[in-house]
Amino acid sequence: MFLIFALITLLGALSVAFQKNLVVAGLCMVITFFGVAGLYLLLANPVAAALQIIVYSGAIVVLLLFVIMLLSAHEEEDAQSVHSVQRWGSVAAALALAAGVVKVVLSSGFLRGAASGPAPANMNLERVGTALFAEHLVAFEAVGLLLLAAMIGAVTLVKKDL
Amino acid sequence: MELLARILHISPQTFWMIAKVIIVFAGPLTLAAILTWVERRGSAMIQDRIGPNRALLFGRWRLLGLPQLAADGIKFFMKEDLVAEEANNTLFWLAPLMAFVPAMMGFAVIPFGRDFTEAGRTYSLSLLDPGNGMGMLYPMAIGAVAVYGILTASWSSNNKWSILGGMRASAQMVSYEIGMSLAVIAIFMTTGGYDPHQIVAAQAKTWNVFPHIFGFLVFFTCMFAETNRLPFDFAEGESEIVAGFHTEYGSMKFALLQLSEYVHMVTAAALIVTLYFGGWQIPGMAHPPVLLSIGAFVVKWVFFCWVFIWIRWTIPRFRFDQLMFLGWKVMLPLSMGNLLVHAYFMHRWG
Amino acid sequence: MAVIVKKVELNWVDRTYVIPVAMGMFITMKHFLKQLFTRSRKRFTVQYPDWKREPAPGYRGLHELKRFEDGAIKCVACFMCAEACPARCITIEADEFGDLNRTQGFQEKRPAVFKIDMLRCIYCGMCEEACPKDAIWLRSDYEQASYDRLSMQFGKWDLMNTYAERDGKARITQDPTPTVPRPPLQS
Repeated sequence: MFLIFALITLLGALSVAFQKNLVVAGLCMVITFFGVAGLYLLLANPVAAALQIIVYSGAIVVLLLFVIMLLSAHEEEDAQSVHSVQRWGSVAAALALAAGVVKVVLSSGFLRGAASGPAPANMNLERVGTALFAEHLVAFEAVGLLLLAAMIGAVTLVKKDL
Repeated sequence: MELLARILHISPQTFWMIAKVIIVFAGPLTLAAILTWVERRGSAMIQDRIGPNRALLFGRWRLLGLPQLAADGIKFFMKEDLVAEEANNTLFWLAPLMAFVPAMMGFAVIPFGRDFTEAGRTYSLSLLDPGNGMGMLYPMAIGAVAVYGILTASWSSNNKWSILGGMRASAQMVSYEIGMSLAVIAIFMTTGGYDPHQIVAAQAKTWNVFPHIFGFLVFFTCMFAETNRLPFDFAEGESEIVAGFHTEYGSMKFALLQLSEYVHMVTAAALIVTLYFGGWQIPGMAHPPVLLSIGAFVVKWVFFCWVFIWIRWTIPRFRFDQLMFLGWKVMLPLSMGNLLVHAYFMHRWG
Repeated sequence: MAVIVKKVELNWVDRTYVIPVAMGMFITMKHFLKQLFTRSRKRFTVQYPDWKREPAPGYRGLHELKRFEDGAIKCVACFMCAEACPARCITIEADEFGDLNRTQGFQEKRPAVFKIDMLRCIYCGMCEEACPKDAIWLRSDYEQASYDRLSMQFGKWDLMNTYAERDGKARITQDPTPTVPRPPLQS
């Protein structure tokens, strides 16, 4: 099961990277998100899976595709001369990120605990709520504030006469 | 149950699962097929016409025009399967499936009858058993994904009308989803849970429509937007953009797209019944027998399907700016206010 | 032509949409129920091949060439109708007959061929207007269709017999020998 979802995720992500057609790439991204949602399900966290689908595949990628279609990138344009510095730089950055993630996951205490301890209970909305509003209230509010600021910034950037 | 399972040499759980899968697939599909007939005859009656009544079964039985369904099906299968030359072939073929599969999936969590216990086992009448952790989030997630069918269909047919339809549909669905979610969250809050079984059980005394009347209005309207039904059928808009996202579609692919719209409608009606009209509950009856509870659900369900059709033939299409205005400036504040008022009351007395 | 668009100001009740929509739904439901419980004979729709609509009295349908009581054709082959016809669909060949003449109260001419091309005819009724003898009528039959062009050429006998069954007259395929003087036309 894990292998299936992981494969879906990986293949989706790879085809996002290699697909020349923007819209098809966007659809592949949806597949990736579905794979991730499946992985969440396997981690006994159906709430995160549902939210992943609602928020990411349901709203964000739709907006993304919307913008792509609005800009009418219908015929596939050839990428303008890719600078090799850019290319190698991006590869290096991706590798560094991947290494960092692997390092963090491997060194986290949770991994050692999970192997021996009891399987965590099913996550549900109540526990998500408690986690957000009781345990991580400050972080939640900070994120909310940040998003609000970003939204206002975007509006001021776009709108000429307020 | 046990007996049937023993005859088929499978365990009762497996038998029940298979039975439920069959019911959950066949029920909405049958209802959707019948709805296409109801739509035509009903609309005809509303407009003082008669509607299709000429198709005969074996050249003999007229049956109020019901054989029209079979005739249409045969016609769709026999038709030439055209794909536009400039279309993106793969996506063009995938799009009807992408529209149809989510439409069929949405019904899985809806409890369509009271749980019953037999030989020490509890059988729940919904495809996903209660306590699966997804609850009402599941149909919302599926509903969110449903837009891809339309989007893909519109983009892959490489037609300007189609793209216009698809863009309108996606913008509309995204903007109505928020209001809808907030309306549903208010229900989660007053119920104290988000499992459909819990929500139905909590409506034993009063149905949710009465305390959540504004939430109901918002949710109901958003359901029209989500299913692309008439006051908000911007994806099709046949008087403006030919046939919108399925302009280039013909034969069985078109039939699938069309059918998925009807299945969406069926699922939306079931959601409305579950969330606001007490699911299988019968007013004034604490523990109705199982069959009666299923009957109550079906009656409400069919009624709301009819309401979808009824409204379609009553209200003309909105303008797109009106749609956006309604979505962002009316529905969103209304459902937000509904949520806040309920939160206040719960804080005060709950 | 300028069209003055009257801007409708909605009051707050209408702007909620809820009550107007409910009212609209009430109206459509009324129509639905009314139509549902009307017997199909009483509905507006005429289910055509099964039932036929009775045209109004002045209806201009298929032509009939009128005849006298003894079966002789009223037409005197004066070509007025052919001249009046805007679609030029009437073809007449005149035929003189008998030694009897006008002073004895008989017509001297009759059409040997009277042909109307029903594919061309526009059912305007000009022939009926033009006819001095009231010999051609446009009547109620409106079902002229056939599988080939030739059968849409209606000849003299076709036209004389178009309404024979309906009027309870015998079909005729031959001009009877005129014996009785014709009464002068009332007009």
